[in-house]
Amino acid sequence: MSNTIPNVSNSLTRSASFQLVWLGIAATLGFALLMVLLSWASALTGSGTSTLNAIDAESGTLTLQLSTEPPQLDSTRATDSVSIMILGHVMEGLLRFDANNQLVPGVAERWEIREDGATFWLREDARWSDGLPVTAHDFSFAWHAALAPETASEYAFILYPLKNAEAINTGTLPGDALGVHAINDRVLEVEFEQPLAYFEELVAFPTYNPIREDFYRNRDGRYGADVEDLLYNGPFEMTVWVHGAHLRLEKNTDYWDRERVRLNVIDIPYFTTDTTAALNLFKDGQIAIVDYLGAEQLDEVLRQRWELLRFGDGSVWFLAFNFDSGRATSNWHLRKALQLVTDPSELVNRIIKLPGNLPGKSLFPVWLQGVNGFFRQEYPAPQIALDASAAREHLRLAMEELGLDEPPSLALLVDDTPGAGRQAEYFQNLYGTQLGIDIRIDRQIFKQRLAKMQNQDFDLATYGWGPDFADPLTFGELFASWNPNNNGRFSNQEYDQSVRLAQSSLDPHIRMNAFGRQQEILFEEVALIPNYERGRVYIKDRRLQGVVRRAVGPDPDFTNAYIVENP
Amino acid sequence: MTEFSLTAADFERVSVERRVQTIARPSLSYWQDAWVRLKANRRALVSFYIVIVLLLFTVAGPWIWAVDPTVQDLDQLSTPPGADRRAQIVQPYVPWNGVFTTINESLSDTVGATTEIRLAQPASTQTVRLVWDPVLGASGYRVYRNVYDPAPDGAVGLPLAEIYDPRQVSYEDLLDLTPTRYWYSVIATDRNGREAEEYTTLAVDTIRVITAAEAQTRGLVDLETLLSLGDEVRVSFHPLGTDYLGRDMLARLMYGARVSLFIGIIAPLFFVLTGILYGSAAGFIGGRVDQILMRFADFVVALPFLLFMILFKIAFGIGPGESGVVPMLVALVVLSWPATARLVRGQILQIREEAYIGASQLLGAKTHYLILRHMIPNTVGVILVTLTFAVPTVIFVEAFLSFIGMGVAPPTPSWGSMCNEGIQTMLNHPHELIFPAALISLTVLAFNLLGDGLRDALDARMRSRE
Repeated sequence: MSNTIPNVSNSLTRSASFQLVWLGIAATLGFALLMVLLSWASALTGSGTSTLNAIDAESGTLTLQLSTEPPQLDSTRATDSVSIMILGHVMEGLLRFDANNQLVPGVAERWEIREDGATFWLREDARWSDGLPVTAHDFSFAWHAALAPETASEYAFILYPLKNAEAINTGTLPGDALGVHAINDRVLEVEFEQPLAYFEELVAFPTYNPIREDFYRNRDGRYGADVEDLLYNGPFEMTVWVHGAHLRLEKNTDYWDRERVRLNVIDIPYFTTDTTAALNLFKDGQIAIVDYLGAEQLDEVLRQRWELLRFGDGSVWFLAFNFDSGRATSNWHLRKALQLVTDPSELVNRIIKLPGNLPGKSLFPVWLQGVNGFFRQEYPAPQIALDASAAREHLRLAMEELGLDEPPSLALLVDDTPGAGRQAEYFQNLYGTQLGIDIRIDRQIFKQRLAKMQNQDFDLATYGWGPDFADPLTFGELFASWNPNNNGRFSNQEYDQSVRLAQSSLDPHIRMNAFGRQQEILFEEVALIPNYERGRVYIKDRRLQGVVRRAVGPDPDFTNAYIVENP
Repeated sequence: MTEFSLTAADFERVSVERRVQTIARPSLSYWQDAWVRLKANRRALVSFYIVIVLLLFTVAGPWIWAVDPTVQDLDQLSTPPGADRRAQIVQPYVPWNGVFTTINESLSDTVGATTEIRLAQPASTQTVRLVWDPVLGASGYRVYRNVYDPAPDGAVGLPLAEIYDPRQVSYEDLLDLTPTRYWYSVIATDRNGREAEEYTTLAVDTIRVITAAEAQTRGLVDLETLLSLGDEVRVSFHPLGTDYLGRDMLARLMYGARVSLFIGIIAPLFFVLTGILYGSAAGFIGGRVDQILMRFADFVVALPFLLFMILFKIAFGIGPGESGVVPMLVALVVLSWPATARLVRGQILQIREEAYIGASQLLGAKTHYLILRHMIPNTVGVILVTLTFAVPTVIFVEAFLSFIGMGVAPPTPSWGSMCNEGIQTMLNHPHELIFPAALISLTVLAFNLLGDGLRDALDARMRSRE
């Protein structure tokens, strides 16, 4: 049969394949040549833009990358960490955090906190970037604006300790009933709704930043939307904002404490959430800091022998349950069963694999202060002993109560980051093999996940909560029945009472006792399964010093940073 | 009456001797000829065998390599192929309280180096327990770990922990321990929290360990009581290594191939069939009907695939965490047929005008006879070629959709989703990306080359010459 194919065809094929080989070699060589030419060309053009170095000591310029640009910079509506970080550089409230994360005077020169209110005396030399002084009216106006129902600020609740604030925000009282009065340009008088133990912590939060009324009204609703729609009173002012592409902060020469600020320019020409891309920028000397790394990048950093640093970002991550009566997760036995097989230590050491993360034991993280020492030393978290057979017994009871013949199928709502996906698959396998519970993973982008949580469209959800102020209350009130961020609608009367007590009491013993009780209730009711307290690992250029990382407040903070030529 | 019969011999020609050399070959049908030419095309033949091996890999593979692709082995995370599998039997993990000193001195502004770091028990992948001598005046300690020797430039590596209690002179490391050599450095901090200039480093070789109970659940031994402490076992074998959750790569690739090849073969079958029916109807009827049908096909071509895929996913009520394979299949079939339809229509239009069709019609052939006897056999080459080229395209689409998370739901693997996961750890554990990526490339290449060979083989104009 093979004879039927004429030989000539074979030789044709052979010569064709020779041609193919030669073409292949030529193409490869050509491609290599092109690459060489291109890299040479880019080196030529690159030398023209060499000012884009991570650190330029001469001009005091620092180049950074951010995960994303701030959605807008109106402090009354800011919610995300990027906005808070930028606002911390271009704005200043009554108080601020210093390099040791202590509260120090900002615009307020001195202050006095009483049981029923507070008085702030403002410094004379605090200036807006157009040269006019920052006055008490600016604070009063900003707080009124944040509480106005038409602003729809998500963080309005942080102003609720002010007298009548909640009623104004919900529209039952007019705005002028607010217990905030500018006595004159330099004295601000505040009335509280009830005694308040942590007001100093609150006024450092961006929602409490000042806004000048005439400027705000001039902007016609565009306040904070662009570089010319903002007035600055902080250590830096923004000079460039190309949306989605470039931010540039320059030293504010009108800032009262300008001696403190040693950087001249903070340039942010890169926005990416991809930590590998950020690491590559760092490797090329394009950025001075990669503010957090993933576990996959650690090997590369070790290989490069860069200096690794760590800090706890203060947030607590846990599995939240949906307490809606139609959901299987409203059943206590089911939640108990899940709790009895979840080992946070395994999650942290085998799945997350990043140093600095602590296995979660409680809603209240280890760094919170108690009466004298750390809260968690004074009120240790309840111990969970893993017990698979007890868990199966609880599951059996749960199925009985729910009237099910087989273990329920649960939807687990997570972010669409790679890390979240891994944790979800770990939980899926854990609950599947230990309890036979089928977990459906619902991966959503951040905004969609928040929306689904708010609509109570989940059974289980991985939930992280970062502190707004350094008091256990920022965590404790998360599970109060009235809190809009209590997405699973956990509701417990004793817990609510305990939160009310902690909000209104000034006695640290009573307050810490209340938080201790809350910690117990959350454990007894299995309101959550703690996963981990997040730690972050980061790298920075050795020439950059004085960068402050913190759990509460703007992070990372470059207002105290400086450049050393030869570290 | 005598019987008169003719035999074949009677019809034999009166011999006229003629010596003519005849050259003949057995008559070859179209298919036989195509097969011959396909066999002569070595590339196509190799591709054909690769495709068969892939099908075996998918269908028979999971029977031969009967490993559950969803089982997570947290002791063997991201293990490359050919890793050392020896493990020692140890006791179950018991929490450790650490070591505390009672000395309580005043803190000082400068502190010296930690003098000696010891191991409280042999280092293993279960735990590494470090103990060191207290440093005078230290306010606390920092513990670092590196996989490279920090000696040359003081790169101490991962900051494992900060100990604020100066009495605590121990640390337990549990973080992602693998059997390798670690360099632990313990640095004392002074009153102001600054690290001491000098420090001590301890090199530790960890060995892989496993508890007897674990060994039994993993099926390494029949009964855990057969094992005693210190025995050596071999942990489960993973020929292609494991992924980031310790799942067997080979098993995952086999199951992943099911999804990829299922979509890759079923979807083209359906849309090519639709295309044939649609195209031949348009081509055969012709005229206004043809115009309308083909304009509709143009309209379908213009529809964006990804958008429709998402719409179908919603329309099918595919909830979170459920597989998106069915909507993917539907979207592929609904949106991909026009290419085949156009091709077949063109072919039919051409054949319709051929002389033999006219002849056949004159002889009284009916429409269905014309279609079945002449039209379809003459377009079958084109159709087969479209089919083989559609398969790799669809496999690639599936891989892409799973890559962006639109396809299968975890824990079901698919080559695309495996690539997506592998790309995260590409630099450290390249095997997690290379294997699925290589399989996608190989499959797509094999189907393309096979399609190429088929096109040459089935082209009537390239039939073997006499």
